[in-house]
Amino acid sequence: MPDKTLGQEFVKGLWAENPVSRQLLGMCSTLAVTNAVVNGLAMGLAVAFVLILSSLFVSLIRKIIPNQVRIASYIVIIASFVTIADRFMAAYFPPLSKALGPYVPLIVVNCIILGRAEAFASRNSAGRSLIDALGMSLGYTIALVILSAIRELLGSGTLLGRPVLGAWFEPWVIMLLPPGAFLTLGILIAAAFAIERKARRRRSA
Amino acid sequence: MKLPARMVVVLTGVSLLAAAFLAGVNLLTRERIATNKQKEIEAAISLVIPGARSSRKVYEERGFSVYAGSDESGNLLGWAVESVTGGFQDNIIFLVGADAELSRIRRLYILEQKETPGLGAKITDEKTFLQFWEGKDMNLPLALRKPPAGKEDLGPAEVNTITGATISSEAVLSGVTLSLDRLKKLRSEGRLEGEGSHAR
Repeated sequence: MPDKTLGQEFVKGLWAENPVSRQLLGMCSTLAVTNAVVNGLAMGLAVAFVLILSSLFVSLIRKIIPNQVRIASYIVIIASFVTIADRFMAAYFPPLSKALGPYVPLIVVNCIILGRAEAFASRNSAGRSLIDALGMSLGYTIALVILSAIRELLGSGTLLGRPVLGAWFEPWVIMLLPPGAFLTLGILIAAAFAIERKARRRRSA
Repeated sequence: MKLPARMVVVLTGVSLLAAAFLAGVNLLTRERIATNKQKEIEAAISLVIPGARSSRKVYEERGFSVYAGSDESGNLLGWAVESVTGGFQDNIIFLVGADAELSRIRRLYILEQKETPGLGAKITDEKTFLQFWEGKDMNLPLALRKPPAGKEDLGPAEVNTITGATISSEAVLSGVTLSLDRLKKLRSEGRLEGEGSHAR
């Protein structure tokens, strides 16, 4: 059934099936933590850790899991990796753990992870699932970094905590608040769809 | 194996494995997490009692702890109270330092808060909020100045309100007021003395 090369399997997560801009999955974390680049990046990496390991595990045991209890098993696997990521962050990166607060435990219910487990890892070999998870994680992380860079730049006048806009710049506080997250995400998704449509027209022309 | 049995076996197996794994991770990280918390408190205490080299807990009750901070030779420099107040979104945990005689506030520090970013979250900001607390007279009732004024225009027990975050400012003010009153009461009742026996 594999009709894609491994390279294509990886690249699809970056653009064509990007979890944030195309699949619109995991919006909760996407909106909530992207008020600073550091937070967006940390969230992206935490999700990457959980997604890659859960996809690998789900794929490895896909043949012994009875269909009826598959979702329960996936959730147990995902929750375990999330807890590991959470404890690890609290132990080695306490400031990040503090900044992300309740959103790390909430990775358990991030639809990207369960979505990939159900739609991909449970039907594909371990290697292929790993590649898929790597691509999806990278796509998710890139989307979060772009979103948080725009919000941090306009909302605080800084990037990665360093001031980049001069003293003349009056920060747009709304960009740090939930409405700023919705506005930025909406514009980004619209832009992604517009670019995709243009590319498709060019391809068919 | 029959299907129901297989379902039970697989799910139990997966859960047992997960539990064992998590227990291991907990063992590996538990100590470090506790040390991190401890270090954070210690760093914060030396911030709110400038010059303090060592500190020890001299009183504790639910949501209220008192630390005594001393210099190298063991002279008492001041007291630090860790307490909690209800903020706009969630509890604000703060640490406030007072001098040894309980006459002036040394410094205020916010340990944990989930106030609105860009508005209430400015309670952690030195320039717009924290700097005004330094040296305030503890014998007068603390009050908020609104709209904010220059540092030299504020009264001896007056601190600036954060523009757009009156609720967060008031929450901190009432929390600090309550904690300092409690601290004064504990001290007048002599319950902070005999510090040595409470060393942690």
